[in-house]
Amino acid sequence: MASVLIVDDASFMRMMIKDILTKNDFDIAGEAANGQEAVDLFNETQPDLVTMDITMPEKDGIAALKEILQQHPGAKVIMCSAMGQQSMVIDAIQAGAKDFIVKPFQADRVMDAVQKVMG
Amino acid sequence: MMGQSEYLEVFIDESQEHLQTLNDHLMQLEKAPEDISIVGEIFRSAHTLKGMGATMGFEDLAHLTHNLENVLDLIRHEQMSVTSHVMDVVFESVDDLEEMITDIAGGGDGSRDVNETVQKLEALQNKDQEKAAASETAAAAVDSPQKPMQEQTAVQESYDEYERTVLKQSYEQGYNPYKIEITLDEQTMLKAARVYMIFDVLEQVGDIIKSTPPADDLEDENFEFSFVITVISSVEQEELKQRVLKVSEITNVSVEVVNVEEPVPEAESTSPSNAEEPAESAPAKKDEQKESAKSDKSEKHSGGSKKGSELNKTIRVNIDRLDVLMNLFEELVIDRGRLEQISSELNNNELSETVERMSRISGDLQEIILNMRMMPVDQVFNRFPRMVRSLSKELGKNVNLEISGAETELDRTIIDEIGDPLVHLIRNSIDHGIEQPDVREAAGKPAQGNVHLSAYHSGNNVFIEIEDDGNGIDKEKVIKKSLENGVVNEEDLEKMNDQQIFGLMFASGFSTAQEITDISGRGVGLDVVRNTFETLGGNITVNSVYGEGSLFSVQLPLTLSIIDVMLVEIGKEKYGVPLTAIVETAIVNKNEVYSAHAQKVIDFRGNVIPLVFLNEIFEVPDRESAKGNEYYSLVIVSKGDKIAGLVVDSLIGQHDVVLKSLGSYLSNVFAISGATILGDGQVALILDSNALIK
Repeated sequence: MASVLIVDDASFMRMMIKDILTKNDFDIAGEAANGQEAVDLFNETQPDLVTMDITMPEKDGIAALKEILQQHPGAKVIMCSAMGQQSMVIDAIQAGAKDFIVKPFQADRVMDAVQKVMG
Repeated sequence: MMGQSEYLEVFIDESQEHLQTLNDHLMQLEKAPEDISIVGEIFRSAHTLKGMGATMGFEDLAHLTHNLENVLDLIRHEQMSVTSHVMDVVFESVDDLEEMITDIAGGGDGSRDVNETVQKLEALQNKDQEKAAASETAAAAVDSPQKPMQEQTAVQESYDEYERTVLKQSYEQGYNPYKIEITLDEQTMLKAARVYMIFDVLEQVGDIIKSTPPADDLEDENFEFSFVITVISSVEQEELKQRVLKVSEITNVSVEVVNVEEPVPEAESTSPSNAEEPAESAPAKKDEQKESAKSDKSEKHSGGSKKGSELNKTIRVNIDRLDVLMNLFEELVIDRGRLEQISSELNNNELSETVERMSRISGDLQEIILNMRMMPVDQVFNRFPRMVRSLSKELGKNVNLEISGAETELDRTIIDEIGDPLVHLIRNSIDHGIEQPDVREAAGKPAQGNVHLSAYHSGNNVFIEIEDDGNGIDKEKVIKKSLENGVVNEEDLEKMNDQQIFGLMFASGFSTAQEITDISGRGVGLDVVRNTFETLGGNITVNSVYGEGSLFSVQLPLTLSIIDVMLVEIGKEKYGVPLTAIVETAIVNKNEVYSAHAQKVIDFRGNVIPLVFLNEIFEVPDRESAKGNEYYSLVIVSKGDKIAGLVVDSLIGQHDVVLKSLGSYLSNVFAISGATILGDGQVALILDSNALIK
């Protein structure tokens, strides 16, 4: 079973994603509330996949993405963005994010992205 | 959407936090309109709210935040300046958001007519975009004729001579020229980013020769859902298709091999000059976008790291659970008292050692539990800047609110209660205290009035003070009004000092406002304010110099339920006097007691203080032991700067006790604030010494 690290500064959003993923038989490797926690938790848990929010305090998702990829070039990261963050999403894709999903999340869309990245 | 109820609580909590952040930062921004980093923070909160609102299906909330965010984005990118009007509209939308969240928290569906606010926000955007858009619209007008073209049938693509040459050459070199029509899902939200991903995928396996619509339009999302890309690649047709399909939100991909030999007759004339452009301008534009994205991000990053250090790891605990924990602990404290007593009776070394240790640990435990319930008064204070701002606008006054000591902590139960009375006091200060700017200037004061809200610790109390440099209180008016309303009689009045006279304002049915405004004329008087603070075990005093300002001072206990008392005995009954009220204890000889104004008094350290005989007040029977005693045991208590001596039979000692209310049947017992169970199972009543001092 694939394990996922969920990164979002809003615990509400983390709950949503967690719910979607666990209903689809994914393991939750951990939850991080900012970029730094994400980097630390990634090193600790080595998840198969990361869902990464972009706007977060302390360290944003793109900085965290870059840091994770630097240490683990094979890491699979899906960015979570909201409308109006086009340029940041593009920046993230350029930096090596595998895909992105847009808030508000819809379960099928999240799963579509996750499955495509994992497949 | 999914089962929402489980998220609702978290949603409400977090939304409220974000609203607060919005308010705080907006106030900061108003003070420092140039500080773009603050806008970043504001943007982030609005952004998160939008995401959460949309996910929960609160359309109006999402709609409003979306528009708010657009305005903030313009400010953030310095395309709009922070004017007072902009701030007003932004504040207004935050107010709307607050209403919606409150509605949701109250079980509502969060719907609200936000059209008016949205229109204002849109007007702001448009006003600012007009300038920038003027040039853009011209460009768009040129592009638009292309639109109908792309809506034609699938995989129609035309190439000019140059493109055909390129295709032909690459074909000859063993590459396959493909034209790929890609259709995005109709619900795709960031279309340009999707396109970018597709370009990215294709560029890994080949070279993109052309796209229709051109790359510029794709990046600007100037297309419906489908577009055509021509690419030369060495991979097979099917593999190319699969690679593109790996990108999500794509509904259809069809790949065709371009027949390079086939001449395309009409194509050349339809788009002669346009065709070359995209090939060149596309990479340039893309780089540009990368640049902007980068600078955007680094800006954010530096803004974010500043705030980061303040974040602590926290968990959310329902306050009810803390209450339960507190109750359980209170039971434990009662048993601890009993154990202590038993062990002192048995006089067993090991037992008393263990009990002592347990007492110490439970003391630590108590501190932790109490601390857990402590919250900074900032929780209450943080809404005041907003309030003062809108209030002073409403009244046409210029008021500066200064806050200090917002980090001072108080028990959560108290925090919850003091909000409204403080609102009332601050409103009073601004409404009745601070004068209109012209009046102020005429009186030789600066036009801007100051209200200083401060909180600080002192002993077991927290003081909250509201000081203004307004008009102060007219003593004569207070006297006149109190006499008129029968709050006081002239005889009593003569004995009163200034502070006591001002205190009359807290008597029920009192209002010195000359005209009733909708701010303070709400029918809630200062008496309600006083009652609230007194129920919490605190009190309020006021001092004022006419023409110079007033100072309202609220004294509050740090916590409610576990208090330190001095246990005293009267006859066979035991009473507890809160340590916070006690100045000292004393024993005086009966012949040192004098009578003055039909009141027994003693001369204590040069002060004449009245004696209060508790046995008379509480009608304590059976006081054999006290008779024939030549001395009075006194507990000297204070209330403000008034003191009195409580006469008791004997002093037992200091104890931590759990204050239990007397229940609703006995809610108004004179001078008793509650009861407690002592170590030996006896019940002791806790005195409210404030009621005993007149």
